Parts: sequence; structure tokens; C-alpha cells
Amino acid sequence: MDSYYDILSVLILLSSIILVSHKRIKSYIKTFRIQSALIALTAGIMGWNSLMEEGRFDVLVVCGIIVLLKVIYIPRLLHKTYGSVEYKVEKDFFLNIPLLILICCGLVVFVYFCVSNISGLNEDHINLQVVNSFSVILIGLFFMISRKWALGQMIGFLVIENGIFVTAMFSTHGMPFIVDIGIFIDMITAILIMGIMVMQINKQFDSININKLKNLKG
Amino acid sequence: MGLMLWLVPLVAVLLSILIKETKALHVMNVVCSFALVVIAGFATKSVMVSGILQYNLFGMLFYLDALSAIILDIVVIIGFLVSIYSIGYLNEELRRGEVNTKRIQLFYTLMYSFLFTMVLSLTVNNIGILWIAIEGTTLASTFLVGYHNNKHSLEAAWKYVIICSVGIAIALVGIIFLHLSSVTVIDSSHALRWDILYDHAKELNGQIVRLSFLFIIIGFGTKAGLVPMHTWLPDAHSQAPSPISALLSGVLLNSALYAVIRVLSIVNKNLGDSQFTGNILVGFGLLSITTAAIFILTQKDYKRLLAYSSIEHMGIIALSIGLFTPLSIFAGLFHMINHSFTKAMLFLASGNILQKYETRKISGIRGLLKVLPISGFAFLLGLFAISGTPPFSIFASEVSVFLSVFAEGHLVLGSLFILLLALVFVGIAVTLFRIFYGEEDSEERKPGETNPAGAAVLIVFLIIISITGLFMPDAMKELITSAQRIIGG
Repeated sequence: MDSYYDILSVLILLSSIILVSHKRIKSYIKTFRIQSALIALTAGIMGWNSLMEEGRFDVLVVCGIIVLLKVIYIPRLLHKTYGSVEYKVEKDFFLNIPLLILICCGLVVFVYFCVSNISGLNEDHINLQVVNSFSVILIGLFFMISRKWALGQMIGFLVIENGIFVTAMFSTHGMPFIVDIGIFIDMITAILIMGIMVMQINKQFDSININKLKNLKG
Repeated sequence: MGLMLWLVPLVAVLLSILIKETKALHVMNVVCSFALVVIAGFATKSVMVSGILQYNLFGMLFYLDALSAIILDIVVIIGFLVSIYSIGYLNEELRRGEVNTKRIQLFYTLMYSFLFTMVLSLTVNNIGILWIAIEGTTLASTFLVGYHNNKHSLEAAWKYVIICSVGIAIALVGIIFLHLSSVTVIDSSHALRWDILYDHAKELNGQIVRLSFLFIIIGFGTKAGLVPMHTWLPDAHSQAPSPISALLSGVLLNSALYAVIRVLSIVNKNLGDSQFTGNILVGFGLLSITTAAIFILTQKDYKRLLAYSSIEHMGIIALSIGLFTPLSIFAGLFHMINHSFTKAMLFLASGNILQKYETRKISGIRGLLKVLPISGFAFLLGLFAISGTPPFSIFASEVSVFLSVFAEGHLVLGSLFILLLALVFVGIAVTLFRIFYGEEDSEERKPGETNPAGAAVLIVFLIIISITGLFMPDAMKELITSAQRIIGG
């Protein structure tokens, strides 16, 4: 079973690197959807196992919520937000793509070294799933600072959230159920609020370029 | 009884959605916030009698001990005073046509959601739910920060929601690691529970606990405004409507520090000493005080100045909790109480000033004592208090903080600390004290308070911070001492 998880964790990592290499917001949303689907698949496999072995079905419920929220609802919401500001948005990055990808690879190597030094995380071999999923968090953070449109930041935030969720799954086989549900509620509210704010910013500043948010200093 | 603490703010949220009349909204607001104070009073009393307040409901989710009771009391008392102040504040905004009844409805809905999430974060027995509640505070207050809906407030709100959400996400990583360190020790039905984690602290995996503390201090430290994760704080505090600034500074920062303190006591028990956590907290504390002192010296906006002063005081609290001696923990908690009341008062007074002068610039204000006799007076005394002048309470707690620093033999740290406090004092004196005197500029500005109830609230605050500066009520002392034992083990 471990090899499935290994493959999935690599695929999830790969999807976040692909995300960094995109230039347009539409393709961000598409990649985010694929990444979420991969995570849902991982949760599904884990949920199935725990149902067979311990008779618990809470992980399967979580998997269902991921499909509903992250694969269907949030991408749709992002498309809607994007639609309302579309005519102003062009390419969105200010470092060139090969450099961005090299930095991402550097981040993965960095995480590998950090994780391999923490013996509590690794039983007898280095826990590669945690390395991969933790790298997703850092890549999400990096994605946020490498884009200048507010929508890019929202997607970066979602990728961080995805990374955290996968880290929780691979390291502890899931958080307690009620905590998972609460995190989902928080996340969906956060995205709704950010979506509304993007529209307001667009109205006030006539752009969603966050480099224009520079009035408050000192 | 304790569960009413969750119910009352939720009912208030519901009522503010349903009620469509300004007057009725104000009445509901006062009734609900007063009810919260009464309930919290009873809950605190039973905590003082029996130590811990817990019910066998939802898997022992509700939990109140001396530590959370102290911060809970700060939340509800400041919440009550702020809600009285808000009536006059909102009526004045209404008179100017800046808001309408719908906006007032929104204000109360969000304010009570904000209070609910803060009360929730202080009364749950589960770090996961605590995390959810603290993220909830960000979400509930985002639109409050952006309430005025202009360029500046939108910018502040966007920074606030992005920086705090990402920061809090990092704290979630820490919580996952804390959970990981305990999976082999604690039964899964008790996962992430404070009391159980604390009881089994010695058996947790030390290395992972240490790692989790790093993430948690970065994450919740963002929310508590520790430098260098503080960048959202001056913007949000200065752009939010003043009652909300008072809540953000007086209440929210404490809730975030509360989460750090809870984890800190688990980590220290696990590691057997406070060296590791102490170094980190003292480092963050000193950095916060230094940065704040520099920015205060060069500040041109009085609400931002108050915001930087909040960063400074959070630094002082972090430093004294980090030292982790009984005296320093006591001083830190005492300082937390004093700072909350003093700063809430200052922000409320600054709200009156802002409404009168319509500028945030220090240079735009002259002759404050003549134009606004009560608010100006409260602002003047509050500035003395916040910069650590006797006889106010902040002086008392700052003295106990540096006594505890010197008692541990940290001579350099202690001297540096006093030097920085002096620098802050000079900064506040140089930049702000000129606004009180001088002749008013040519513009027509009728002297007199616009918000009489708000002025009364300011006087209540003044009485509170003067009394606690001169002597400490026995009940308060007892409560802080038992909280100190909870943290120190």
C-alpha cells in the first residue's frame, strides 16, 4: 500500500511544481483542481483502508468533502471571481519560469535535508511522503510571493492548505474528524471572503495588482 | 452555565441579522454584552472555587481554568465597554451619513462573531478547535478592518486576511506535529486535548514537540503581532473603526498569545527546562520591543503609533513569559491585563479624536484638551500610563517584569530592556505630547464631546487602570497566581 502513497505524494508535489510554471490564471485553477483530485484520491484510499481494517468511515467522509469543496466548488468560485476581473488580467509572474522551477527544486532538497535530520519523523528510512507533502507547503508559500495578482495569492493559499492537509494525512493518518470539518469550514469562509475582497479591490483600485496596495507604510 | 458563554454571542449574531432598526440593535448590543460579563463573572467564581470548570458534553470540549478565565474576563469586560462606546460612535457616523442601518447591522453581526470566536478559543479543550477559532477571529474581523471600504482600509484588510491566514496555516503545521508526537501516547478519542497532552507531556516525542513549537510560535506569533511577523498589525489597527481597534489590540492579541502559552507549558514540561522556548520567546520579545521603539520615534499617525505600542507590549509579555520563573510569569500575565485595558482606552479615545478632527496625522491636531476635554484628558493620562509612568498599572507590571529579569541575573538583558522602555517613553513624549496644547487652528471646530456615553466609558477605564496600579485586588492576585501555577507546572 505504501507504494501507492509514494506515487500519489510525488504526483501531488509534481502538480504544485507545474502550477508554479503556469503563466495564466485559468491554468492555475485547472492545476489546482487536478491537485485536489489527487488529494481526494489519496484520502479515498486511506478511508477505504480504515473502513476495512477498523470500520471507521470518517476519512471517507473527509474525502467526499474534498471532492465537493476543492474539486468542484472552489475552482468554480475562482472562475467566477476571475470572470469578473478577466479583462484586466494578463500574464502574471515576474521571475522567469525556469528560475522559478529551479527554486522549487531547491526547496524540495532543503525540505529533504531538514526532514532527514529529525529522527522523530523517520522510523528507519527517510519518510519521503512527508518530504513531498511538506515541500508542497513551501512551494505554495513561494507561489504566493512570486505572483502579483490577488487571485494568484488566493491560489497560493489554497495550495498551502492542500500541502498541510496532505502532511497531516501522511504523518498522522488524519487529524481528529471534528478538527478536519472545522478546518474545511474555515477554509471555505476564507476563500469566500478573499473572493469578495478581490472584487472590492478591483473596484477601488481599478486593478487586482497587489503591487498597487502600497499606501500604508511606516 | 459556561456553555452560555458560547450561546449568548451566537444569539447576538442572530439577533443582529434579524433586527432591522438602529435603536433596537443598540439595546440588543448592550444587553448581550452585559449578559456575557455576568456569565463570565459567575464562571470565574466557580473556577476560583473548584479550579477547573468542565462539563461532560461534546467529549469534554468546554474547559475553563484560571489562565483562560483571566483572558476571558479581559475579553468580556472590554467587549462590554466597547459595545457601550460603539453606540455613540455609530450614531455619530450615522449622523454624518457615513453608515446606514444596514452597515450598523453588519457591524454588530461581525463584532459578535468576532467576540464569539475569541470566547470559543479561550474555552475549548482542544488545540485543533482552538486553531479553528483563532482563524475564525481573522475571518470575522476582516470586513470590520475594511469597514470604511476605501482604498486604505481595503489594503489593510487584504494584508490582514492574507498574512494572518498564512501565519495561522503555519501554526496548523505545528499542531499536526504536536498531534504526531502524541499518537503513540494518547488514545485517539482524546487527541489534541490540552489537559491530556499536559498530563502526558513527559512521554511525548521530544524532537517533534520542539519542531512543533517552532511552527506554533511563528504561526500564533503572527496573530499576536510579534516582530518580524507583525506587518499586518499597524495597518489593520489604524484603519479599523476605533471600537474594533480597541478589540483587536486589547483582546485579540491576548488570545493568540494564550495559544502560545498553552503549548509552551506542554513543551517546557516535556523538555524538562525552559532553555529552548525561553531563548526563542526572549528573542522575539526583544526584537519586537526594539522595532516598535524605532517606529514610535518616527511616527506621524497617532493610531499607528498606538499599534506599534501594542507590538512593544506584546514583546514585553513574550519576554517575561519566556523567562519562565514564577515571578516573571506572574508579571507577564499582570502586564497582559494592564496593557489590554490601557490600550483599549487609548484606542477608544483616539476614535473620538478622529471623529472630531477627521485626520490621523499627529500634526493635524492642536489644543486637544480644549476641544475634547474628557477624551483629551483620558488620552493624555493613557499615554502616560502606556509609557510606564506611575501611578498607573502598566508601571507596576513593568517594574515586576524587570525585577524578575534582574532576579534571574540577566544584567545585560535587564539594562537593555530598561533602555528600550526609556526610548519608547521619549518617542511617545516627543511625537504625541504636543497635540494637547497650542492654539487651535483657524478651522471652526466646536469644543465638546460628540459621544457622551463613550466619554463615560473612558472614565471607567481610567479608574480601572489607576486602581490596579495602586493595589491589586485579592481575587485578581489569587487568579493570576493559580494561572501562573498552571503555566509553570
